[in-house]
Amino acid sequence: MIELRNVSVVYPNGAEALKDVSLKINDGEFVFIVGGSGAGKSTLIKLLLKEISPNEGLVLVNGFNLNNLKKNKAHKLRRKIGFVFQDFKLINSMTAEENVAFVLRSIDAPVKWIRNRVPYVLSLVGLKDKVKRYPGELSGGEQQRVAMARALVNDPMLIIADEPTGNLDPTTSWEIIDLLQEINRCGTTVLMVTHEHEFVRHFGGRTIKINEGRVVFDDYI
Amino acid sequence: MKLGSVGYLFKQGLRNIWVNRIMSLASFCILMVSLLLIGFTVLFIININMFIGSVENKNEVIIFLEDDVTDTQIEQMGVKLKNMPNVSESVFYSKDEAFEDLKAQMTDAEFAFTYIEDSPLPDAYRIKVRNIDDMDGTLNEINRMEGIFSVKAPNDFVNILIGMKSFVSVLSAMVMTALVVVCLVIISNTMRASVDMRRREISIMRLVGATAAFIKIPFLAEGVAMGVLAGAAAIVITGAGYSEVAKMFGADISMWSPMGISGLIPLKDIFMPMTAGYILAGAAISAAGTVMSTSKYVKV
Repeated sequence: MIELRNVSVVYPNGAEALKDVSLKINDGEFVFIVGGSGAGKSTLIKLLLKEISPNEGLVLVNGFNLNNLKKNKAHKLRRKIGFVFQDFKLINSMTAEENVAFVLRSIDAPVKWIRNRVPYVLSLVGLKDKVKRYPGELSGGEQQRVAMARALVNDPMLIIADEPTGNLDPTTSWEIIDLLQEINRCGTTVLMVTHEHEFVRHFGGRTIKINEGRVVFDDYI
Repeated sequence: MKLGSVGYLFKQGLRNIWVNRIMSLASFCILMVSLLLIGFTVLFIININMFIGSVENKNEVIIFLEDDVTDTQIEQMGVKLKNMPNVSESVFYSKDEAFEDLKAQMTDAEFAFTYIEDSPLPDAYRIKVRNIDDMDGTLNEINRMEGIFSVKAPNDFVNILIGMKSFVSVLSAMVMTALVVVCLVIISNTMRASVDMRRREISIMRLVGATAAFIKIPFLAEGVAMGVLAGAAAIVITGAGYSEVAKMFGADISMWSPMGISGLIPLKDIFMPMTAGYILAGAAISAAGTVMSTSKYVKV
């Protein structure tokens, strides 16, 4: 599913973001990625989404060798990954259902399928009655649910959640992680980046800690 | 990409005009003003060229014939002149007609003509040339014909006109180039500002797996629509403005009529090319500006 072999990333300003990182995440796992600010978590996410390329090493995701994947073909990889970010990354000029439908539109899905699938996924995340609302009309938790519906709508094999609870109150944060756990139980691999150790301690499971660009811990808690 | 998706993307583009209405209004105004600037300059240039053309048509070359040319030779000359590509008009002016005209002009010297029975003047052809730039070549060709006594051409007039034509052409090219460059810079800056405001939206689209084409098509549709709207507004303003100027110009036409100018080119004669020019230029400039600005952010 995801494999990094001796991956190093150095930014143009000389900052070494990842140093000789090797790790493997199998299908169906739920993995927490933890680490302080500047540890290299975001760089790892950017690598997996092919926003940047490694200076050294090999990156394999969902059967794609990202070292060989051309930038103008990156959309093929991204269509197989769902993502959830701290700042929700919703298009403000689109309603909740339009944001979710955009993913299916971009892969030329049949209109009939979109009409059935989008309300279904929004109802799964508890937003059946708010499909016509714009992001600005929704609370933070609701916006994150829309983002989760968008991540799920294309039935991806992998969901990457980068600090999904960073902008949410504690109650909503627990709900969002519960939802991610539920998605994982259905067979989807979930990679969740967080700096909130409380969640890791509570939910447990495989945890990878990155510090100063290196994997310093990789085990089950 | 399916046809349905293209329709969806075009609808998104049109919707974005309203969603981003402040920037849309700014782009619309900049586009319209640029189109008007270029449009009015083009209209000014084509009217100046028309004026020069009208004056050019006033040129007249008189070919005086030898006394001993026969009627057959005169006819042959007439045919040759008509067949010359640069001769637009040729009229035979007989010596008798010339004499009658002279007498009519010199009414106070009527007594002088009572002793002259036969016209002392030569037969002549009066011709007009199409293109005064080729006047020299045409005169050389005429001078090579047999039976020519002399050729009288308005050389000063031709030289002034040729000078004016080349001055107007160079000036028009310079003004148009400067205007187009300035307008393109202003338009591309406005478009870039407009797209800059939406770079977050573009980055999200990229992240969810949209292709570059999928992201660009709504921007393209938006650009084309804005260009067409700005073009349409420019047509209305130009039409109204031009009619007013033509009316003002027509009111004082007596000043210009001796030069063969009958006013500005009528609006109906230029309306179709003007409409097509505005719409096509507006759509093309706007679409190109938007897509080029978007490309920067669509690159992964």
